[in-house]
Amino acid sequence: MSTQAGATVFIVDDDEGVRLSIQRLLKTVGLRAELFPTAQDFLRRNIPDGPSCLVLDVRLPEVGGLEVQHKLAAAGINIPIIFVTAHGDIPMSVKAMKSGAVEFLTKPFRDQDLLDAIQQALKRDQLARRQQSEIAELHERHKSLTAREREVMELMVSGMQTKQIATALGTSEVTAAVHRANVMRKMHASSPAELGSMVERLRLSSNR
Amino acid sequence: MAEEDVQKTPEELSRDLQESKARLEEAQRVAHVGHWEWDLETDVIVWSDETYRIFGLSPQERPMDLATVQSLVHPEDREALYGGVDEDLVAGIRPDAEFRIVRPNGEVRTVHALTSRRWSFVPGDAKRDATGRPYKLFGTVQDITDRKRAEESLQLTQAHFREGQRLARMGSWTSDGTKCQWSDELFPIYGLDPRKGVPSTEEFLTIIHAQDRPSMAEAIRLMLEEERGCDVTTRIMRPDGKMRYVRCVGMRVVEQGVFKGFLGTGMDVTEQELLTQELRRERAYLNEAQGLAHIGSFACNFVTGQNFHLSDETIRMHGFDPSGPQVPLEDFFATIQPEDLQGVKDALEKAIRTRTDYDIEYRICRADNGNIRFFRSLGHHNPAGEIGDYVGTTIDITERKRAEEAREKLRQLEADLAHMNRVNMMGELAAALAHEIKQPITAAVTNAGACVRFLEMERPDILEAREAASGTVGCATRAAEIIDRVRALFKKTAPQWEPVNINELIREIALLLQNEIRRHSVAVHLGLAENLPEVMADRVQLQQVLMNLMLNAIEAMQGVRAHLEINSQRTDDGQLLIAVSDTGLGLPTEKADQIFDAFFTTKPQGTGMGLAISRSIVESHGGRLWASSNSGRGATFRFTLPYEESLRT
Repeated sequence: MSTQAGATVFIVDDDEGVRLSIQRLLKTVGLRAELFPTAQDFLRRNIPDGPSCLVLDVRLPEVGGLEVQHKLAAAGINIPIIFVTAHGDIPMSVKAMKSGAVEFLTKPFRDQDLLDAIQQALKRDQLARRQQSEIAELHERHKSLTAREREVMELMVSGMQTKQIATALGTSEVTAAVHRANVMRKMHASSPAELGSMVERLRLSSNR
Repeated sequence: MAEEDVQKTPEELSRDLQESKARLEEAQRVAHVGHWEWDLETDVIVWSDETYRIFGLSPQERPMDLATVQSLVHPEDREALYGGVDEDLVAGIRPDAEFRIVRPNGEVRTVHALTSRRWSFVPGDAKRDATGRPYKLFGTVQDITDRKRAEESLQLTQAHFREGQRLARMGSWTSDGTKCQWSDELFPIYGLDPRKGVPSTEEFLTIIHAQDRPSMAEAIRLMLEEERGCDVTTRIMRPDGKMRYVRCVGMRVVEQGVFKGFLGTGMDVTEQELLTQELRRERAYLNEAQGLAHIGSFACNFVTGQNFHLSDETIRMHGFDPSGPQVPLEDFFATIQPEDLQGVKDALEKAIRTRTDYDIEYRICRADNGNIRFFRSLGHHNPAGEIGDYVGTTIDITERKRAEEAREKLRQLEADLAHMNRVNMMGELAAALAHEIKQPITAAVTNAGACVRFLEMERPDILEAREAASGTVGCATRAAEIIDRVRALFKKTAPQWEPVNINELIREIALLLQNEIRRHSVAVHLGLAENLPEVMADRVQLQQVLMNLMLNAIEAMQGVRAHLEINSQRTDDGQLLIAVSDTGLGLPTEKADQIFDAFFTTKPQGTGMGLAISRSIVESHGGRLWASSNSGRGATFRFTLPYEESLRT
């Protein structure tokens, strides 16, 4: 079992006994837990940089679990969520899973099931964070391109050779080749294929 | 004759004189005329027999003198008659006098007396003495009482007639075809001055209201040219500007087959006319109002079948035409729906027999369009009137009836809803309970899991493990506490013991389940023993039991010939036995003993609590609940309820 150093598990449940027991269980695997009796208490908390996940009770006073999930998504916070409920029905769990929940556990759950779900959530968070930072890096690189270099990059990605790019832009082949080299260097791309995947990821992230 | 007399013997002359005296007497008697002769010197008055009779005396009963005669005159007339007699008696006597006399029997008669004053010139009329003064007076006296009375009566009649005409605002007229005579009373009716005389036809027509003038002119023309009678009511414009209604009636006068002219009246009928118009308006308003409110009125005799009055709306409501020929009473009865007719007849017969009012509701089928309408008829009988005489109203209450039906449906719906709510509430309650209990159980399980993990570590963390274990204990204890609280919650709703009529309850639930019964096409038969004693029970709990058993039965009969039978009876050992029997699938053969266990169910959406709860309720009432398969198909659930206090635990 791999444990993430510095990871935080947020637990939102209106039952203190449940909160404390989960905290104790996480302690057995060396995970730090932060406990909140209501959704509002949790929403006031700033999400830390390190990997984290949320164990969320569906039935909460005032603001329910599914609503919390909705609010987080609207605020652009992509923290993985594990739902727990004392009486989960199928439509409710489907809705939660479709909205990106990691797991939907019905109380009382097996301790191992909860721990597995938390591990999976933290892994997913880590991956997401890495992707997030990669995309941020790509955006930085993309920003360093000149307008003409961006034009050249678009043409490169569409599969044009240097000669075709020169014709398209009405420049000499030499000038086109210089732009092309600059794009490859600034984007840290080792091949046109890698550049293609970078541009694809940029498009995806900016479309989001 | 004088010559003949000369040749007659004195005897013959005497006989003639006697005869002529007798004839005179006879003539006087017939004419009620008597004569008298007064010798002023001797004051002897000689009366003829008739004079005596007129004064109420027997002929020649006694001799007369002035004082006696005066005493016979009515005291009030004495003065006028003999006022001046004392000074110059003869000069004072009036030659022609009318006065009253009083007969000895008190009867008052009126007489007319003539006294000759021409004594100077006509000997025999009055005798004179040597000085030329008369010494005898002669006169006649006539009883004119009857004539007087007739005159007075005539005068009175004429006065009454005039007064009557005046009061009746009526005048009369006559016409011989060319000339017209008006009574004095006729002039003011037309606003004319009697002194100006009867108006000409042209003048007369100018008084008539312009719109009525042609009809009046035509009536006059027909009278003059075709000798026809008339009866026309016209408006007239009086010179003072007042408009009045005058009815003019002219009747032909025919004597021995010869037309003599017209005799007619003119009558001011303004008040009657205005009243008639008012009445007509009122009738129209009433008709209108009846039409709007769908209320008809009637007056009739149900025994003789006579219609005295039927308002237009009464006729219209039944689908007949108010402007058409009169509708006989039996036609109205014919509109009553056959299934209601007997009830109406019974109610009417009873009311007629007991001479009382009636109030009935029934349906009719309109004669014109066949629509079914609900009527309420109220009849009032005046006990002093003829048998069968009723005055009443008929009201169309169809809308009200429909509203009632709609309300009934709504009530049913509400009952259904309440039933559904009850089911839902059970579900909600169960969910809430599950949530409440699952929370501490989750915590306990998780704590236990953590505890094991702390112990399984390479270097077991005993401290943490102990804390986790005590957390488990705490949470498990809390779960138990919640269950206790729930149980306490149910204990709070202690049974409400009250006397309950079980048959009433069965009917109530059957009614409440009407929709389910209809939906599943179930034939329900209630075999309820009469006069069952009441049981002390919790009404709501027993309702639950009955509803459970009946719903189970209905649901068990899906797609089969559904027959639900509920029987109630008294057992020999002081208990009521209620049996709910169906023709459904019957009991599950191998699990017959499990059906009363909690959570046992054969239904996809069943909770498995119904029979368990039912049995628990019946047992809390000191009874038993059991089931058995029917010999044919289906199952019968029976339960007992002790009705004697001592048997209840």
